[in-house]
Amino acid sequence: MEHHTCFHCGLDATNSEIIFDEKSFCCNGCKTVYEIFSENDLTCYYDLQQAPGSTPKEIEGKYNFLDNEKIVEKLLEFNDGKTQIITLYIPHIHCSSCIWVLENLSKIHPSVSFSMVNFGKKNVRITYNSETLSLKNLVILLNSIGYEPFISLDDYSPSKKIIDRSLIYKLGFAGFAFGNVMFLSFPEYFEVNEFWLEQYKPLFRWLMFSYSIPVVFYSAQEYFISAYKGLRSKILNIDVPIALGILVLFIRSSLEIIYDIGPGFFDSLTGLIFFLLLGRLFQQKTYSFLSFERDYKSYFPIGITKILPNGKEESVQVYDIEKGDRLLIRNEELIPVDCILIKGKAHIDYSFVTGEAKAVTKKSGDKLFAGGKQLHGIIEVDVLKSVEQSYLTQLWSNDVFKTDKEESFTSITNSISKYFTIAILSIAIISTSFWLFTESSKALNVFTAILIIACPCALALSAPFTFGNILRILGTKKFYLKNASVIEQLAKIDTIIFDKTGTITSNKNSNINYEGTNLSDEEALILKSTLRGSNHPLSRALYELLNDHNIVSLDNYQEYIGQGIAGQYKETQIKIGSAPFVGYTNENTSLNTIVHVSTNNTYRGKFTFYNAYRKGLSHLFNKLKKEFDLVILSGDNEGEKENLTKLLPGKTKLLFNQKPEDKLEYIKYHQSEGAHVLMIGDGLNDAGALAQSNVGIAISENVNVFSPACDAILDASKFNQLDRYIKLSKTAIIIIKWSFALSFMYNIIGLYFAITGQLSPVFAAILMPLSSISVVVFTTLSTNMAGRKLK
Amino acid sequence: MEMQQFHYDNKIVTKFIYATIVFGVVGMLVGLILAFMFLFPNMTDGISWLSFGRLRPLHTNAVIFAFVGNAMFAGIYYSLQRLLKTRMASDLLSNINFWGWQLIIVAAAISLPLGYSTSKEYAELEWPIDIAIALIWVVFGVNMIWTILKRRQRHLYVAIWFYIATFVTVAVLHIFNSLELPVSALKSYSVYAGVQDALVQWWYGHNAVAFFLTTPFLGLMYYFVPKAANRPVYSYRLSIVHFWSLIFIYIWAGPHHLLYTALPEWAQNLGVAFSIMLLMPSWGGMINGLLTLRGAWDKVRTDPVLKFLVVAITGYGMATFEGPTLSLKNVNAIAHFTDWIIAHVHVGALAWNGFMAFGIIYYLVPRLFKTKLFSLGLANLHFWLGTLGIIMYALPMYVAGFTQASMWKQFNPDGTLVYGNFLETVSEIIPMYWMRAIGGTLYLTGMLILVYNIIATIRSGSAVTDELAEAPALERVSKHRLAGEAWHSWLERKPVKLTIFATIAILIGGIVQIVPTILVKSNIPTIASVKPYTPLELEGRDLYIREGCVGCHSQMIRPFRSEVERYGEYSKAGEYVYDHPFLWGSKRTGPDLHRIGGKYSDNWHFNHMYDPRSTSSGSIMPNYKWLVTSELDKSQTEAKMKTMVSLGVPYSEEEIANAQQQMLDQGTQIENNLYNDPDFVTSYEADKNNAAQNGRPFVEMKNREIVAMIAYLQRLGTDIKVKDIQE
Amino acid sequence: MSVIYIMLTVSIIVAIIFFVAFIFAVKNGQFDDSYTPSVRMLFEDELVKEKSNKSILTKKD
Repeated sequence: MEHHTCFHCGLDATNSEIIFDEKSFCCNGCKTVYEIFSENDLTCYYDLQQAPGSTPKEIEGKYNFLDNEKIVEKLLEFNDGKTQIITLYIPHIHCSSCIWVLENLSKIHPSVSFSMVNFGKKNVRITYNSETLSLKNLVILLNSIGYEPFISLDDYSPSKKIIDRSLIYKLGFAGFAFGNVMFLSFPEYFEVNEFWLEQYKPLFRWLMFSYSIPVVFYSAQEYFISAYKGLRSKILNIDVPIALGILVLFIRSSLEIIYDIGPGFFDSLTGLIFFLLLGRLFQQKTYSFLSFERDYKSYFPIGITKILPNGKEESVQVYDIEKGDRLLIRNEELIPVDCILIKGKAHIDYSFVTGEAKAVTKKSGDKLFAGGKQLHGIIEVDVLKSVEQSYLTQLWSNDVFKTDKEESFTSITNSISKYFTIAILSIAIISTSFWLFTESSKALNVFTAILIIACPCALALSAPFTFGNILRILGTKKFYLKNASVIEQLAKIDTIIFDKTGTITSNKNSNINYEGTNLSDEEALILKSTLRGSNHPLSRALYELLNDHNIVSLDNYQEYIGQGIAGQYKETQIKIGSAPFVGYTNENTSLNTIVHVSTNNTYRGKFTFYNAYRKGLSHLFNKLKKEFDLVILSGDNEGEKENLTKLLPGKTKLLFNQKPEDKLEYIKYHQSEGAHVLMIGDGLNDAGALAQSNVGIAISENVNVFSPACDAILDASKFNQLDRYIKLSKTAIIIIKWSFALSFMYNIIGLYFAITGQLSPVFAAILMPLSSISVVVFTTLSTNMAGRKLK
Repeated sequence: MEMQQFHYDNKIVTKFIYATIVFGVVGMLVGLILAFMFLFPNMTDGISWLSFGRLRPLHTNAVIFAFVGNAMFAGIYYSLQRLLKTRMASDLLSNINFWGWQLIIVAAAISLPLGYSTSKEYAELEWPIDIAIALIWVVFGVNMIWTILKRRQRHLYVAIWFYIATFVTVAVLHIFNSLELPVSALKSYSVYAGVQDALVQWWYGHNAVAFFLTTPFLGLMYYFVPKAANRPVYSYRLSIVHFWSLIFIYIWAGPHHLLYTALPEWAQNLGVAFSIMLLMPSWGGMINGLLTLRGAWDKVRTDPVLKFLVVAITGYGMATFEGPTLSLKNVNAIAHFTDWIIAHVHVGALAWNGFMAFGIIYYLVPRLFKTKLFSLGLANLHFWLGTLGIIMYALPMYVAGFTQASMWKQFNPDGTLVYGNFLETVSEIIPMYWMRAIGGTLYLTGMLILVYNIIATIRSGSAVTDELAEAPALERVSKHRLAGEAWHSWLERKPVKLTIFATIAILIGGIVQIVPTILVKSNIPTIASVKPYTPLELEGRDLYIREGCVGCHSQMIRPFRSEVERYGEYSKAGEYVYDHPFLWGSKRTGPDLHRIGGKYSDNWHFNHMYDPRSTSSGSIMPNYKWLVTSELDKSQTEAKMKTMVSLGVPYSEEEIANAQQQMLDQGTQIENNLYNDPDFVTSYEADKNNAAQNGRPFVEMKNREIVAMIAYLQRLGTDIKVKDIQE
Repeated sequence: MSVIYIMLTVSIIVAIIFFVAFIFAVKNGQFDDSYTPSVRMLFEDELVKEKSNKSILTKKD
């Protein structure tokens, strides 16, 4: 039969007999969305981009907590009782159609008055009339067109993040002043004593002066502050000589124009600050669609349904959940606390926590841990611990989450600047004293000149531009770093620790092998047809695995939650599921996940699921083992042990059954031994380890869905490139060292003129930008060359 | 807040498009006529109002302000409404803007041929029209800003920034450059003199190019290129950087038009430095525009709109590369005053502005008239004719430029000029002028094809209706209600308000600043021997201005050996202190005239004016017979002198009182000199008798315009010589 | 050359206007989102229009 794709979401729609407007759809959800759009003549949605939509989820009752006034009030950006404004994060935003339809919400619902998308941030800011449309209904509306917003405990935190634009203002001031000062100082470069110029000199000079004031006292303030901080904590960081240089430049220039000695160095001054700030801006590469700060709050719901003793339901804020409460967890809802299953069959997906894709089935009386997601059906649970005390969440009470990594190490620039500063100061003092004896009039001039010319602009620019560019390059290779300092840390790494599930194994596909008596074609056909009915992840996986048969519609199909599925076609009836379900008694306890099959109540065999390791894994390990100690910390049982030992180089340490705390402590211990640890994990349970390690990388199958707090996010498809990325970061450090050498060279040239007391404004004004620009060019070119090696 | 329905005003857009097309044809036609005048100097023999000197400003004004100006308005009025999701704030203002602008153009088209001109390039129009321009421009600005205030789209797309910049800067520049003191309804003198006038003029001149021909069209580029290609602009961030860097650098680049002139060197270097910096933002913009079409080149091959736009952007790139190059002093030393400059501006005008306009027209008309373009084939034909025309125009002019420059500078071993006679350098490049004329013809033909194609399209289309659209109104939530929220609508209004207030502020501040400085300082430092013009010379100078001699003759001898050798002592700033306005010129189709005084006899000038080829064979200067025949209007002289006095020119009371007598004496003197030529005597006496017999009124030679013209020419640049003799 | 004073004043004032405009624009977030506007401007919002079936190329990130 010919192949169809869903007109709305582009998924395979070959077997779904859903046709509407001569367009085929994969499911009724997609069809409904299409209907909504065509009613409101928004069908251009499909013109802008082919099949841009996503299937709306079944969210019955999921957003009841939005009935709770207190919660809503916290989420709103603005509310005057009538008009409400909210910004919602919508992961599905991915194309121009999304922008278009979301900005035309008002056409779907009149109460929405204005909606504006920020594509980069994947959010939409909606202004609506709360008298006719409640937030809950708005969210449901969005979901109904396939744009379910993601509302998490994070949004509940009162502090609304305000974008910090101060750097841009500072840069703006500096740039503006730089331009004008250059304009005003140009004349004096070329021709010094011309009738008219003589007339204007005072005006020009004072204008320059007034321009430079905001630059020095506003744009450059951070350098003074950090220099001051540095000195207080007895560190000579790079900002000390910079601040000194700026100050001297300003004071000397001011004096020069006050006593009409010369034009001063305002051009160099403003230029210097402009370039420095430019460096900062360049380094400040942010991936607005990613977040490196996520903790459990970003996953947990804000509200949950509580069942009162009198059987009434009410939605409560999760922080208000107390031990002993009875909670109602709906399909697709996340369990916020440790609890005991009371009623219903639980299918819990812990992929958020462990990275394990396959759901586990729990019977009443079993313990459920926070962070799991109920897959289908409704369950009731009794709370054992409040949110903070829960098994997973208490991880965040650990101190690692309070300390900021960046402060804990000194950057390459700062470590050099220590010697640099001392050297400069001593040179200044020596040569000054020399002049004091020979020609005292020149002494001060020389002293200031040295500090000016030695102001390490180029030096300070080397690192930002190198790192900034590396950041960009890696970004294009789907390796997203939190900030530049990560690169430096990465270059220092000597130990690499991997989480197992979801990190070195891919949770997309898994190896399944069948042991037992072979199935006839017809049986296989029925097997596949039966599996097709079930949404259970194992069924899906199995369904994908089996080779194609044209599906038959079964005479009878039934799903027994927590046990398995049964189907019947003509005489043949088939059972797929747990051992007892298919009536298989002598099961020897295995560590692996197994699905049993029986036809007409005779046992046929079992499908065993093994982890599938990412491709290139052993190759990668073999490359890494030369330079690094390799460790695997797994939360799971030892089921895969022999498999791994076969796969990985001998010296690789393997540790199983590691609790989140254990991982964290393990890293702490090795660090105390002086190791620089790189942790690579994916689930929330790795969060502690990721935070503790010097560099924590989170692997993600899809960078748009969530990954725990970390220093870097690596797209799973690029996992096998890891060694190259580490190598690149090492190269970066080398490049920086070279550009340091380059800028020292300029300093020496400048110093010669300074010491001999023949530093002219023009010379300074040429040397300063020249050195900065050549350093920028050098770093950019060499980083690009280094980056070209990457795949 | 519910949905609001509103109509986009398409009628106003259509009007501006019609105007664009009509005046485009006119302007280009005039240009073509001028091109042919280089080949047939006497094409319009004896018709004063069709003489080259008077048509040249008509051409420049028609093309810049009528063609490009209307295209700009059309594009802005179309895109602004859609970018802001609102109709223009006031249809009344829109129409005032339209009809006012057209009236100004008509006024220009009448006044310029009649010789009412200030002679300042791109600002030739006399003061009443200048005021009208200022008013209409403000109307446009008010309408635009008002529209921005009542917009339904929070974000201002980058194009709008370019529009705002255009409005503010052009307003300021126009006002400050056009400061003139009126003598009569249609005559005024620039308040600045000599060097200062030159500086202001080119500060304006350059920024007129920058902010009238460039920024608005960049805005249009950022709207129409993505629209036509149906692709988002390559990098929106780059476009923002492009805008701000361009704005902050452009303002300063003016003085590069005055390299090697009497302008102080540091001021010249300033211009150079900033002109060179301009390269970066300009090319940033060009690249951004071109890369927008990445992956759409297949469309470019088929869609004439995109073709035009692509060539336009490329032209922008070429012109903005050439500009900084030309501003390098050593390059400028070669190119200035030659046809290279003509080539440069026409690459900008024909490729960048022209093709942008065509692209926009081909894009808009089908949409406005709800139909398809009548013929893609014709549009493509237009494209190829146009492109070919540009090449045929530019290349020969480059060659001509180089040829002129090299011939002007070549020396014999003995130190004399190889081409001592300027005419040799002219006749050498006549073939180039021919090719230029052909190129121009091709371009105009293309334009005519557009006219036909567009008319046919409109015929096939339905009448223009105002487009119905709907969008929710912007919530105006006041600040105190919106604590901690990024989009304060009150803040949004602020920059706009601010722009208005600040503009008014400068205008007032500027005027206050200006008047005293001018009146006090404008006449220093004078060279002792430099004297004001005599009344007759002053009248002669006004004739020189009226006939637009400055279009072909410079009055600025640069300090090069070749020029000093050819024309005499190089020009000093002090010599121009009484020149309101300055007449340095920017092109040497004919030789420089700053030291013409005393070089030739009065008779020579007389004959030369009557028929240039009688004195200098091969000259391409048109005849100025009417100067010889018509009577000089002396009614204004005193008024003119009084005006000059208030501008700081030291005419004493009795000088003004005796003006008439003085003119008569100087006139008689020249008349007597003319009697040295027997041919003149015979023909002149013949005229006199024949007039007497038929009892026709007879104007004596001493009262004719030619006498004043001769007086002025003989005076030119003699002040310094006088001084030399004394020593 | 006194005219320099005027030109300087005017130029600088104009420059300052634009600079202030710039600061305010940044302040109210005009330049926060450096991608969406470029797509937004491509959408036609006329009510009566024939369907365009071109597809806009959006950058994938």
